[in-house]
Amino acid sequence: MRHTLIAAAFLTFIAPFVSAADAPAQTDQVVVPKVERRDVNVPKIPSNDFELGAFAGTYATQNFGTSAVGGVRLGYHITEDFFVEGVYAQTKISDAAYRNILPGGIFPTERVSLKYYNLSAGVNVLPGEVFIGRNRALASAVYLIGGVGTTKFYDQSHQTFNLGLGVRVFAKDWGALQVDMRDHIYSVDLLGKRQSTQNLELTAGLTFFF
Amino acid sequence: MQYRLIPALRCIASLCIALGALAALPAHAVDAPEERVQVADAFIELHTGPGRGYPVFHVAARDEWVAITLRRTDWFKVRTASGKEGWVQREQMERTLTDAGSSKTFRDVAVDDYLRRRVELGAALGAFKSEPMLKAWTAWRFSDSLNVEATVGQVQGVFSGTTLWHVNLNAEPWSDQRISPFFGVGLGKFKNVPNTSLVGAVTTHANLANAVLGVRCYLSERFVLRADYTIYTALLNDAKSTEYRAFSAGLSFFF
Repeated sequence: MRHTLIAAAFLTFIAPFVSAADAPAQTDQVVVPKVERRDVNVPKIPSNDFELGAFAGTYATQNFGTSAVGGVRLGYHITEDFFVEGVYAQTKISDAAYRNILPGGIFPTERVSLKYYNLSAGVNVLPGEVFIGRNRALASAVYLIGGVGTTKFYDQSHQTFNLGLGVRVFAKDWGALQVDMRDHIYSVDLLGKRQSTQNLELTAGLTFFF
Repeated sequence: MQYRLIPALRCIASLCIALGALAALPAHAVDAPEERVQVADAFIELHTGPGRGYPVFHVAARDEWVAITLRRTDWFKVRTASGKEGWVQREQMERTLTDAGSSKTFRDVAVDDYLRRRVELGAALGAFKSEPMLKAWTAWRFSDSLNVEATVGQVQGVFSGTTLWHVNLNAEPWSDQRISPFFGVGLGKFKNVPNTSLVGAVTTHANLANAVLGVRCYLSERFVLRADYTIYTALLNDAKSTEYRAFSAGLSFFF
């Protein structure tokens, strides 16, 4: 009986310390920190590194006259300075100048379709602003571009190098006006001798960034 | 009359679809909630365009809240509480705090991104049996040491031109090193078109098998240098096959 009484007394003294974690109500200061776990949703920031555009202009072949050209371009901006661009365009060239001298001309029909596509890399060399009137300033960039591709006409494919420069003026963040000047260099052997020809192209177009 | 109507209708329909797609894009961007960060540095500079060549027109001081609306390459378009919108460089954005008070880790294109790269695009210049060759590829890295690569190549020789394409499976065992070798095998197609001025010229179509051994070197930012040596086998028919060797070096970038 005495042992049980001593044991009970001992336990009552020990109990608060043993179960301190479960019953802090013994002490005055009741600090139960409420750890609120917030779900932090990081919203995705939209980006527009890709560009898609259409352009039209003139394409002057070295031997077959000047004609209107139209095409599309798809590009990706890697850093603020470098970008890559793929272009596909089409025009019609004619050998009218030769038909006056040679009986059959060079091509089977007077006008033959010319298609070209290429992949180029460009550098934005002169970023800045252009000022229109007194109150408006638009971001712009002058770029140098060069690349390689293929020109196809009259059932022949010619490996083409292109080199050029252009100006891009941003009307809005998502749209720009682009004027592009390119020299397409490829070898042709239709006129007897195989020679490298330089074909200049000047186009203007609209580009959308998405 | 009706023959001209159908292409015109097709043109109008495709233009309508394109305009509809374009109209849908900005609406999606407006609906998404914008992220707000607080400037922790002394100030951040807002440029008029996404590049270091564009002038600074406004400065957001410490403790000002800015909302991020758009990103292009390494530049973020932000809007201050007073309504001014400008572009801030990534390095300056790194020293901002989020709503919860923690510093936001802006995804810096560093070596970590290179290790997590998934899609790669590149182009290379080389020699295909001593004739100049150009090729472009796109690769999808589906595991740490394996990737699938689709390549398109063009060879311009004096007498003929070749276009080829092939799909490779490459293994890169030490892809986390700065300079890492890789090897792979693949299949594709090969087309050789001789110049029309040659007599009796015939276009050759053949299946192509190749084995490649190369090395990749991580340069900086998002660019990777690559050099490789490939053995191509063109299977002309059941009895005949020709072997070509090609060496190329080029540059690629990754997303």
